Amino acid sequence: MVESCISNKIYSYKHECKWPNSEAADVHSIIVRKSRSKGFLVFFSALLILANAILLFLIKDKSIAVVFWSFIWDVLIVKLLLQKPVEKESVVIMPALGVQLETHYVSGNIIRRFVPIDKILKPVLLECVTPVTCYWSLSLIVQEEAELMLVFKELHPPVKMLVPIWKALCAATGSEGSLNTFTEDGPCC
Amino acid sequence: MGDSKRHRILMVSDFFYPNFGGVENHIYLLSQCLLKLGHKVVVMTHAYGNRSGVRYMTGGLKVYYVPWKPFLLQNTLPTFYGTLPIIRTILIREQISLVHGHQAFSTLCHEALMHARTMGYKVVFTDHSLYGFADVGSIHMNKVLQFTLADVSQAICVSHTSKENTVLRSGLPPEKVYVIPNAVDTAMFKPAAERPSGNEIIIVVISRLVYRKGADLLVEVIPEVCRMYPNVRFIVGGDGPKRVRLEEMREKHSLQDRVEMLGAVPHAQVRSVLISGHIFLNSSLTEAFCIAILEAASCGLLTVSTRVGGVPEAYDMIVLAEPDPTDMVQAIKKAISILPMIDPQDMHNRMKKLYDWHDVAKRTEIVYDHALNCSNQSLLERLSRYLTCGAWAGKLFCLVMIIDFILWRLLQLWKPAEDIEVVPDIVLSHDEDRGISQDFQAFNEDNSLR
Repeated sequence: MVESCISNKIYSYKHECKWPNSEAADVHSIIVRKSRSKGFLVFFSALLILANAILLFLIKDKSIAVVFWSFIWDVLIVKLLLQKPVEKESVVIMPALGVQLETHYVSGNIIRRFVPIDKILKPVLLECVTPVTCYWSLSLIVQEEAELMLVFKELHPPVKMLVPIWKALCAATGSEGSLNTFTEDGPCC
Repeated sequence: MGDSKRHRILMVSDFFYPNFGGVENHIYLLSQCLLKLGHKVVVMTHAYGNRSGVRYMTGGLKVYYVPWKPFLLQNTLPTFYGTLPIIRTILIREQISLVHGHQAFSTLCHEALMHARTMGYKVVFTDHSLYGFADVGSIHMNKVLQFTLADVSQAICVSHTSKENTVLRSGLPPEKVYVIPNAVDTAMFKPAAERPSGNEIIIVVISRLVYRKGADLLVEVIPEVCRMYPNVRFIVGGDGPKRVRLEEMREKHSLQDRVEMLGAVPHAQVRSVLISGHIFLNSSLTEAFCIAILEAASCGLLTVSTRVGGVPEAYDMIVLAEPDPTDMVQAIKKAISILPMIDPQDMHNRMKKLYDWHDVAKRTEIVYDHALNCSNQSLLERLSRYLTCGAWAGKLFCLVMIIDFILWRLLQLWKPAEDIEVVPDIVLSHDEDRGISQDFQAFNEDNSLR
């Protein structure tokens, strides 16, 4: 049963309740949306480069190496720009048991991390500052760990999608969600 | 607050806590007073070691420690356009209305002011030091300052001497420069309940022992005073390259029992060192505005100082001397003779009335109001101001600004402003049981997010 859905240009957020009769699990997912225009642009420019190389070979009598290298270059940029390794990341909250963090890749690979409920001290929403930007991230303060555990390792969803997940985590772990909403330290990547 | 608007100010400088100094103290205390007046203040500086990211200080003061590595004397590496993305992100997410840069020597400040002007924000600059005109370093720095100040909305200097110096170095019209002196925290610098008794007169010196602060003058003055007055003792606090010379002087004249060297004194202990003395000696060769003198006067000490820079403007009861050993010894002689007539509590009360950070904040608020009332100018109008900076320099500055403008437009296309999320304002609520707790109101109202 899908309870709520928010989306923007890059991500969309889905909240599902598996087994709604018993309060067994709550799944919050952030899904990466496919961007058709980007794919079109990348293929078009790759085609342009290849066409240019072939023209150079046929008309200006350059060596075949030009075509070969431009083909390699095309493969590289298509691979880099169009490969979306992450398809979606989700948080499965099982009250009284723990929280499972999953990362689903396009290749079919799924990486799961489980954190028992009593090891979670508090979920926190933090601002991370990098040399070029600043974004919000959701992390868990875990007992006996020096570093915070990022809930979404690969994706950077907007804060309006993170807030309902954070509230659900607070409710599950029993920490106060409305006051004292930030700590002073954080992993600033 | 009344009818004046609530401003949203971004303070930018390379120099901030955990570094200690005049500029750092100024930014912190001014920000605290502005927060009390109801404005929103955010500070941006570079990361200090591990201290990187967002931190919150007293009163809800948000500090961005941007992870750019410092390369020289706590200054960020100047990359011209490298800081444009992060500055744009901070300005949009905090909904800043005005950018206030501090200290001419800070590269981050210059870059931030340049980018803020490109993006159309109003800009205020405060200069805290006096600089020369003759040496190579100063010439280059003055050119950079000329570039930054060519298009600043308003400028603030800490003394009239400093205003003269800044106007001459940068070619800024004097009408745009306001003089707002620094203040002193009179609550922290209180005189001792009882003056140090006994026959001895104790002269305190606390400064960095470098050439600029006149450490060489001390080397000449101290033995002379000790010879003339057998009941005078010196306490010297501070460290630096010239400490060796002072130690040598002690050895040479056998003054080990008359001159006490304390080494570096942490800021929290300055007051306890000051209240152990009767007279404060300042031998700086140049000073835009000497806060040390104010701190000493607030603690009830009589001050003897060199007549340089903005020192004579501080207050009237300083005994002034030329930066010359003989003249300084005469001044100390005069100070010792008038010492019995000085009442420490009276001096402290006068300081309290003359210097107050809340007063500085109110005056700065007026400068902000004037800055925000300045007209918005298009790129072409602004470029004409840069052309007046010099034959070659003017054209170079124009080119720099045009490239900055183009990069800003490209950045707007790549990362539109709508994608940058605005940070909700912090509302401080005081809870007796739990201390100060902070509350993101917007996060608790689900409606505003969907």
